[in-house]
Amino acid sequence: MMPLLLAVDLLEPLRQGFVIQVLILAGLIGVVCAVLSCYLVLKGWALMGDAISHAVLPGIILAYVLGIPLTIGAFASGMLCAVGTGWIKARSRIKEDTVMGIVFTGLFALGLILMSRVASDVHFDQIIRGSLLGIHKSDMIQVYITSAVTLGVVLLKRKDLMLLCFDQAQAKSVGLNTTFLYYLLLTLLAATTVAALQAVGIILTVAMLITPGSIAFMWTSRFDRMLLIASSTAVVAAVVGTYISYFFDGSAAGFIVLMQSLFFIITIVFAPKHGLIARRRTLKAALDQI
Amino acid sequence: MTATPQTSLDLSVKNVSVAYSNGHVALHNASFTLGPGTICALVGVNGSGKSTLFKSIMGFLRPARGSVTICGEPVHKAHKKSIVAYVPQAEEVDWSFPVTVRDVVMMGRYGYMNFLRIARAEDHRIVEESLARVQMLDFAHRQIGELSGGQKKRVFIARALAQRGRIILLDEPFTGVDVQTELAIIELMRELRQQGHIILVSTHNLGAVPDFCDQVVLINRTVLAFGPTATTFTQENLARTFGASLKHLRLDHTDNPADARNELVVVTDDEQALVLGSDGQLNRLPEQEARP
Amino acid sequence: MIDQLLIPFTYEYMVNAMLVSALVGGVCACLSCFVMLKGWSLLGDGLSHAVVPGVAVAYKLGWPFAIGAYIAGMTAAMGMSYLRSITRIRQDAIIGVVYTTWFAAGLVFLSIYPASVKIKNIVFGNLLLIAPFDIRQMVVVSIVALGVLLLKWKDLRLYCFDPSHARTIGLNTWALEATLLVLMAGVAIAALQAVGAALVMAMLITPGATAYLLTDRFGRMMILAAAMGAITSALGAYASYYLNGSAGGTIVVLQTLVFLVTLVFAPRHGILAGKARAKAAAEDLLARLNRESFTQEAAR
Repeated sequence: MMPLLLAVDLLEPLRQGFVIQVLILAGLIGVVCAVLSCYLVLKGWALMGDAISHAVLPGIILAYVLGIPLTIGAFASGMLCAVGTGWIKARSRIKEDTVMGIVFTGLFALGLILMSRVASDVHFDQIIRGSLLGIHKSDMIQVYITSAVTLGVVLLKRKDLMLLCFDQAQAKSVGLNTTFLYYLLLTLLAATTVAALQAVGIILTVAMLITPGSIAFMWTSRFDRMLLIASSTAVVAAVVGTYISYFFDGSAAGFIVLMQSLFFIITIVFAPKHGLIARRRTLKAALDQI
Repeated sequence: MTATPQTSLDLSVKNVSVAYSNGHVALHNASFTLGPGTICALVGVNGSGKSTLFKSIMGFLRPARGSVTICGEPVHKAHKKSIVAYVPQAEEVDWSFPVTVRDVVMMGRYGYMNFLRIARAEDHRIVEESLARVQMLDFAHRQIGELSGGQKKRVFIARALAQRGRIILLDEPFTGVDVQTELAIIELMRELRQQGHIILVSTHNLGAVPDFCDQVVLINRTVLAFGPTATTFTQENLARTFGASLKHLRLDHTDNPADARNELVVVTDDEQALVLGSDGQLNRLPEQEARP
Repeated sequence: MIDQLLIPFTYEYMVNAMLVSALVGGVCACLSCFVMLKGWSLLGDGLSHAVVPGVAVAYKLGWPFAIGAYIAGMTAAMGMSYLRSITRIRQDAIIGVVYTTWFAAGLVFLSIYPASVKIKNIVFGNLLLIAPFDIRQMVVVSIVALGVLLLKWKDLRLYCFDPSHARTIGLNTWALEATLLVLMAGVAIAALQAVGAALVMAMLITPGATAYLLTDRFGRMMILAAAMGAITSALGAYASYYLNGSAGGTIVVLQTLVFLVTLVFAPRHGILAGKARAKAAAEDLLARLNRESFTQEAAR
């Protein structure tokens, strides 16, 4: 049910309180995830967000059954996945991507079995689409706090974490406590993923933990700039995506992801050194010389 | 053992230029030709275009200009006949892959086998013979990761033998390999040269080159020099090839200052050193020629 | 008690479900040997999610699900391949970007043109409610895939192990890569009808990884994986009778448990075996050092 273009009042969404709320939330989560995504993309953990997002399911169900806060259960389950992956990989000849796949699908499957005995359909839809519009106030406060803390810690430790992700051996040799940093990053990732899942759903969470970092990676080789570019694209995508979704009466999460993908495509083509156009130019110049 | 008397075998690289899609020109205007019965060293620093050259011969890269031909035909035609055999560097192989030594050597025969890759008696015989020739027959059933560095190298050489490749490309074959294996490889290469094969060895083990290579190609983004080792492998050419990364020392090696050959030039890039006469040429001392 | 356990076998639809599961599970497992060794484990994740919007859109347009799934899956794979060739971004990030885009496109489409297809069924599968036509389709795809694997496994194995060599002996590596991808997509689409998109990935990697810990011969690996895949899938289907759905969950949990047990107890590559070897080596070294110090003492 698309409103007639002539009758569209472009400022209408901004007059709706709930839309503003959504914008702020999506923007904030976008920034935190975008910042984390820069580290994940560097470390080769791009799909760790995907893994944790699936692995939280059994934790949520068990927490529901035991009557403890769902977030705690989700977090424990997510950490189990991440730590378990590392543990198994260190003790077998199987490669990391395979181990990660086995662990998170195993946990997710366990969650599905538990769910079929316990919970209802409602939860499931919310997990996929997120409850941006139906989010409770208490959940929101929790999300804000998690985001703020994560952002604060990451920005404080950003250089150390970057070295850890880029070259772990080097980090160790300059005296950094790599074990602590490793678990710190994992914890922040798990906490952020759980918060983001509640707010924006699984697809947007996974996308925001990968795409902004990948975009920024193509525009610059200076890490601080990478963080800035990633955050900016996330915020712009969140705002524009939510805005458009209002007019199309469509899925906000879906539109935000598509917006980010659009930025990604633009980057692939136009990035100054690594984009298609730039490479073609350099290639042509090189070929002309020889 | 090559059965067919050859239509002449040759590898011809003509004015080859290769640019990667990010604009980096890895090779430009590289030219050289190799005829049958030769061991040729491909010498250059990392990043000089050695692996780009190999990839062009193996058909992984299309030159932007120029051509690589084998017996006058484009490379992919030669591949259909299993003419080119490649012995990879250790780092390129997945040693934990579940294949045995015999499996790997048998893979050399796939180009001759039927659709279902069912090995015939002849294929088995050739595999056994190739394994025996590199003294790896006892290890035929072992998984490849269980072998030592030298043994691993021998397995892939056996594969090239089983393939009956007439042009054999060896990528840094002496790294991580014990002396015994190194000598065995050199001996094998000499036999193959005798039988008319073309052997192209990428190496920066400068000291060993004059021992077994009759030709060299000096490469630094282009072919700087190419020809018989004795005339091409000189200090001047090496300086152009390696630039600043070469160390060379002048040594006074006899007590007799009147001895015209009392100075030696020792040239190395951290592998086995090359010893030249004071004129920068390969004037070999008698003791060196006697080395096996 | 035994009578209770045999009830499922008395229903034709249950027996069918178990047989079809075994077939699909076995073929997935066989393929998983290649997928895992080629480093395509996460590609399975991406593909199995990317096909979901294809199914939803096909449902809305009235097309057969499989067509939509195939189109979505193959375009996603092509997109990933293309991106890999033109950027310096790592493979896992590329997979993530592409599959979330595809999925988001599906979400947006469905939010604007709502259909009564329940995403739940696509993501979770519904083994017991599959129409006979779809069952036939699953069986045909599985048999064709199995046929291709049995005929060309040696070339595919070579492609996974050493694509350079494959090239130089005249094999068409593009064709081999495409074959593997198409097989993966086809088998994944068949399997997802049974266990759902979220779990297909597991069937495409876990059995292979388990078999990899048990043997060093590729042929044996394929057989072991296929057997494990078939048995766990049949068991999962069987158990779903009692568990009221969630056959997929049962299958994957079983496969993961088998993996974990193998990880610990495998005779050569398991954790305990590794520890025993390390201990033996340490003792050996110690004994040798003792002997040497004795001989040194004696010599003095």
